[in-house]
Amino acid sequence: MTKQKPIEIFTPPNILKAKVGGAGVGLDSAAIKRAEAAMENLKSEFAGWMNADIEKLAESRDAYAAYPSEDTKGQLFRASHDLKGQALTFEHPVVARMAASLCKLLDGTPNTPLLLIDAHVNAIKILVRQNVRDVSDPTTNAVAAELEAQVRELQAA
Amino acid sequence: MSGYRFDRLKILVVDDNQHMRKLVAAILQAFGVTQIFEASNGVRALAAMREDCPDAIILDWMMDEMNGIEFTKEVRTSKSSPNPYVPIIMLTGHTSADCVQQARDVGVNEFLAKPVSVKAMLSRLTAVIENPRPFVRTDGYFGPCRRRRNSDDYAGPERRSEGLEETTWVTVKSGDQR
Repeated sequence: MTKQKPIEIFTPPNILKAKVGGAGVGLDSAAIKRAEAAMENLKSEFAGWMNADIEKLAESRDAYAAYPSEDTKGQLFRASHDLKGQALTFEHPVVARMAASLCKLLDGTPNTPLLLIDAHVNAIKILVRQNVRDVSDPTTNAVAAELEAQVRELQAA
Repeated sequence: MSGYRFDRLKILVVDDNQHMRKLVAAILQAFGVTQIFEASNGVRALAAMREDCPDAIILDWMMDEMNGIEFTKEVRTSKSSPNPYVPIIMLTGHTSADCVQQARDVGVNEFLAKPVSVKAMLSRLTAVIENPRPFVRTDGYFGPCRRRRNSDDYAGPERRSEGLEETTWVTVKSGDQR
């Protein structure tokens, strides 16, 4: 049996605690309220931020369509992945769902059909343009479910 | 109320999306942090670490040039690392178990899933202040201990109390996927 090299376990000085002090009992509810208010104040900017993210997604799609390569596909994946995370924060859950489907499509399919990419990108653009946020909207759900099904089928093939 | 003097902290926010950086910075400011530095990728974050010596880092995963995983590896294992012990909180949309494991395996301290939540952010900051993980150095890993901390409710046998600590850690090492 090979002898394992010793494993070193040690505790570095807790510089953070030394700096901030504090009792460390539970979360500071006043700080949480202040931060939630700060987020609320920023919400007026969320629409502009979403539009910027959508523009980036569209540019990445155009670059991939013009020069399909691992590099341009990677850029498109990163744009859709960013959107997936940001859309939830910016209160666009349906966009997040479709961006997640686009991520799956780009990540798990070797020959990604541009038509299906476009179906995702165009749906996302419409959702943002029309400010659709309702996760229970039947039309939106039907479109999202269809896109997800197409991705699943493609990956199963 | 925790009574933390967050105004004494320096925090580096690393994200390629300027809006996300702005949002995270606004939350940190509301907590009382006044010294917030920003970087748009791992390469710039390393430069910011040398320049500004942050006490903690909030890090995105997916970025051009040097992503969050590559950055964390560099911070933890490079001989030229400005601070191999700096607490790193990864804020990302990569939330699968594999991704969490990968982040842990390069030395991320805490994991924070998008969407950004104020409570979760404060909770992770509090975790690195109050319950810092011990550091582990093995052949294949250097960084915060990857075992779960909160074991107060554990009712099973105390395997490590009978001189089996080394065996336990060997198990951890064999799980290293790098």
